[in-house]
Amino acid sequence: MTTDLGFWVLQTLNALQLSMLLFLLSVGLTVIFGLMHFVNPAHGSLYAFGAYMAASLAGVLGYWGGFFLVPLAVAALGAVLYFTLIRSQRRAGPMAQVLVTFGLIFVAVDATRLIWGDLPIGIAIPAMFEGQLPLLGVEYPIYRLFIIALGLVVLAALTLVLTRTQIGAMIRAGVDNDQMAACLGINVERMFFLVFVVGCALAGLAGAVAAPVLSVTPDMGLQILIPTLIVIVIGGLGSLKGAVAGSLIFGFVQTFGAVLLPTLNSVLIYALLAAVLVIRPEGLLPAKG
Amino acid sequence: MFTHTPLRLTTLATLAIGALAYAFVAGFFGLEILAEIAILAILVIALDLVAGFGGMLSLCHGALLGVGAYAFTVAAKDAGLSAFPAMVLAVALSAALAFVIGAVCARSIGIYFIMATLAFGQMAYSFVFQSPLFGGDDGLSGAPRPDLTAIGIDLTDSRAFAIYAIALVALTYLVAASTLRSGLGRSLVGLHHNEKRLRALGLTVWRAKATAFAISGALAGLAGCLAAQHTQYISPGLLSWTVSGEALVVVILGGLGTLAGPIVGAILFVVLKHEISAITPYWHAIVGLILIAVVMSRANGVFGYVEARMAARAAKPTLEKAKADA
Amino acid sequence: MNKTLKAALAGLAISTAMSGATFAEDIKVGILLPYSGVYAALGQDIDDAFALGLETFGADVGVTFDIVREDTEVKPPVGLAKTKKLILQDEVDVMVGVVSSGVLGAIRDTVDGAGVPLIVANAGNDEATGAACSPFITRISFSNQQVNRPMGQWMVDQGVKKVFTIAPDYAAGRQMIDAFTTAFTAAGGEVVGQEWPAFQKTQDFGPFLANAKASGADAVYVFFAGGEAISFVKQYDSFGLKAELSLYGSGFLTSALYVEAEGPAAEGMITALHYVPTLDNPENAAFVAAFMEKTGRIPSEYAVQGYDSARALVEAVKSGATDRETLAAALPKVSFTGPRGELRIDPATNNVVQPIHVYETVAGPDGLTQKVLATLPAEADPANGCVMPASVN
Repeated sequence: MTTDLGFWVLQTLNALQLSMLLFLLSVGLTVIFGLMHFVNPAHGSLYAFGAYMAASLAGVLGYWGGFFLVPLAVAALGAVLYFTLIRSQRRAGPMAQVLVTFGLIFVAVDATRLIWGDLPIGIAIPAMFEGQLPLLGVEYPIYRLFIIALGLVVLAALTLVLTRTQIGAMIRAGVDNDQMAACLGINVERMFFLVFVVGCALAGLAGAVAAPVLSVTPDMGLQILIPTLIVIVIGGLGSLKGAVAGSLIFGFVQTFGAVLLPTLNSVLIYALLAAVLVIRPEGLLPAKG
Repeated sequence: MFTHTPLRLTTLATLAIGALAYAFVAGFFGLEILAEIAILAILVIALDLVAGFGGMLSLCHGALLGVGAYAFTVAAKDAGLSAFPAMVLAVALSAALAFVIGAVCARSIGIYFIMATLAFGQMAYSFVFQSPLFGGDDGLSGAPRPDLTAIGIDLTDSRAFAIYAIALVALTYLVAASTLRSGLGRSLVGLHHNEKRLRALGLTVWRAKATAFAISGALAGLAGCLAAQHTQYISPGLLSWTVSGEALVVVILGGLGTLAGPIVGAILFVVLKHEISAITPYWHAIVGLILIAVVMSRANGVFGYVEARMAARAAKPTLEKAKADA
Repeated sequence: MNKTLKAALAGLAISTAMSGATFAEDIKVGILLPYSGVYAALGQDIDDAFALGLETFGADVGVTFDIVREDTEVKPPVGLAKTKKLILQDEVDVMVGVVSSGVLGAIRDTVDGAGVPLIVANAGNDEATGAACSPFITRISFSNQQVNRPMGQWMVDQGVKKVFTIAPDYAAGRQMIDAFTTAFTAAGGEVVGQEWPAFQKTQDFGPFLANAKASGADAVYVFFAGGEAISFVKQYDSFGLKAELSLYGSGFLTSALYVEAEGPAAEGMITALHYVPTLDNPENAAFVAAFMEKTGRIPSEYAVQGYDSARALVEAVKSGATDRETLAAALPKVSFTGPRGELRIDPATNNVVQPIHVYETVAGPDGLTQKVLATLPAEADPANGCVMPASVN
């Protein structure tokens, strides 16, 4: 089995697909942390909301209606959260943030149960991406290739914005030293808001994209939380490169671990996390070197 | 620095007397709740010791509790030890594990420390979940309660067990408080505020952190023994990170770094949970809103809020007096 | 109290006892189900159908059923605390429910020790009616092995020679698959590979599906339930495996509760279960109609378990049982023909004995529905170390 080239191609694609989904979730979280020093465990709940909204909208507007509207809706939700809770808690220290975001998670899980019920929901893969594509000797689901492509497009766009535009330069300055950035006349508040909302939109997008592959359940936000946190911590907080590296490491270790070392699999990723933190206590590619 | 203010002593005395008085009058379900509160109280005192005073926010205390519960059950049931030696063994095992985790994670701070402890906690969880020796997902039943009939106490009785649990909370508090007042406790608080300075003064940082973490782990293991004796059934769910997360929430809700506050938090959390879940299956949402409200009030938890109010009131007359004198 | 009144009451008590249950008595029923947590929907189905069952069968037995509900949250320690409350504080005569096997394992000793009869309305752990059986625990739902064992012979009869199995790595997953593979290999089949994804941690089954495809099997046999079942069925289809490798499994995979969410991906899957809502018999027709009228939902296997739990309780009461002791003695003796067919309780284990239905998920006029392919005869589980005390009366 493992001598077959098809096996490696197929599992590599599986690993990439998982990596890209995690990348969409973790990039927002890590940049928000880099800028605002705020870890937001409720990020997973936004992902769940995205998936549920996509499921609801799919019945009305079709899959693509949901695909474009969900990130906007989740961004709007993020904006509301920002003004009611996040802004006032930004300087309140990590303890208060942990408490507030745990409170948010509790509320979000029950809110999804109240609105959408306890039963898992599923939505169909959009018609244009049904079926499989022959690729390097294997047949691979087109929709999964779409997820990989989408991840790469978002990565390219973010890289471009962060390295080539003025706002990107401001964000990088803010991650480096927000007080200095403020002294240089950058409107730090507005930048925080922008980054937070974009991060939320990406979480919503991840939910909408994941919905046809997975089942949509009330606890999906909590389930994805730990993998996302592992990704950003392995990668190093605050950096785009770190989010990419962390996502790839997680995706590949998880996928190949599952098929090659099944008995060790559930321990493997945690062992890796512990090892990274012991050797490099701030992750592999932290924003501030 | 940890001190016993009059407010803290009064609170502790009131809680102790209140709990004992309640234990004598409560009905069956009240006694169950009392035992549940006691188990959570021991866990959160253990967590406050390292999180509140040493800045080590741990997400593996659930796992340390679970290791204690499993070690106790296996030692008492399968290895045939009697309950107290089994408890000592379980507490020692949790302490040893905590020492290793504390030593390995000593260099990590903030979110990195949280994640590193999470990793170790999850490894312990997976190990217990997958190991056939521990009954996997189905858990293990048959953990015995200590036999105190020699001194006329029957712990199979809920009332006696609740009082025994309260006594263990008191013991835990004494251990935590005396640790904090010892040289180790002062180093721990000092490390939290200025690690470089203590390093310069010749303190072996990792050893101090690991020792404090081991003491905290021992107490978490004690909570695990008590949990196993209480339900006489244990399952891998005890080791889950959500247990650690809930404990952290309770510590912060009560008042980080006050020792007495987390006990208040434990009472509030368990009582709220039972009261609200009796009314609606959506009790998580209500508890969540309460958590948010507590934070928005900008206090250091419920007990921290009371402390701050008392301090403000105490400061006022002296201020006015000073004005009058001038 | 004066003597005449006492005598009158005593006389009344005797006449009541003699005439069966003509005098209104109270039977306190403790319902122990998850109303929150991952199995909340299952708990709701059982609860609704239990209420329907009491209305349908219990209206004219002259007994008032007093219901106390408790939420287990699918957490064993919580379930245990609630059980103790029901037994000691509410002093219930009988308990009904328990969805998760973990909760059942946790409360088993307490229930057995207190001598309170428990009607298990879901939890399928083999041990509960095996090595850990109890004269006070009667299971009306199913056992993990019971649902899967008959598929071994049946699939060999259909010409399947080699299978690949996939199931989550926890007790129920192992029991379901092991019962199937034992029967399958005994009938001459061959298991060419097995995968055990981590329970509740695996959302992407792609890596395992690739191995199944490469294994050279004729078919894949799986057990999944809930959200995992939906993810699995959809991913199986999206990898294009449906056309190459037929998917068989334990019927929870394509349960009526989840098949809507699985959509067309579930079409053509062949699974076995103790109940499907399309069974063609008058009892089932009446049940489906009544349940749909009450809730607007199609009844699932969980619903029928709740409904039959109520029926079993009523039958026990009809036979003269009134309290913990008499109910515990009467419950294992009940037998009736319900929506699932003929049910009886195996006295050796107190587990239900029932036919198993093989069904295919097919497209119908109102969405996906279940086409029954075969009904395999009822077979009692082996005792598996269960030793019942000689008599509990």
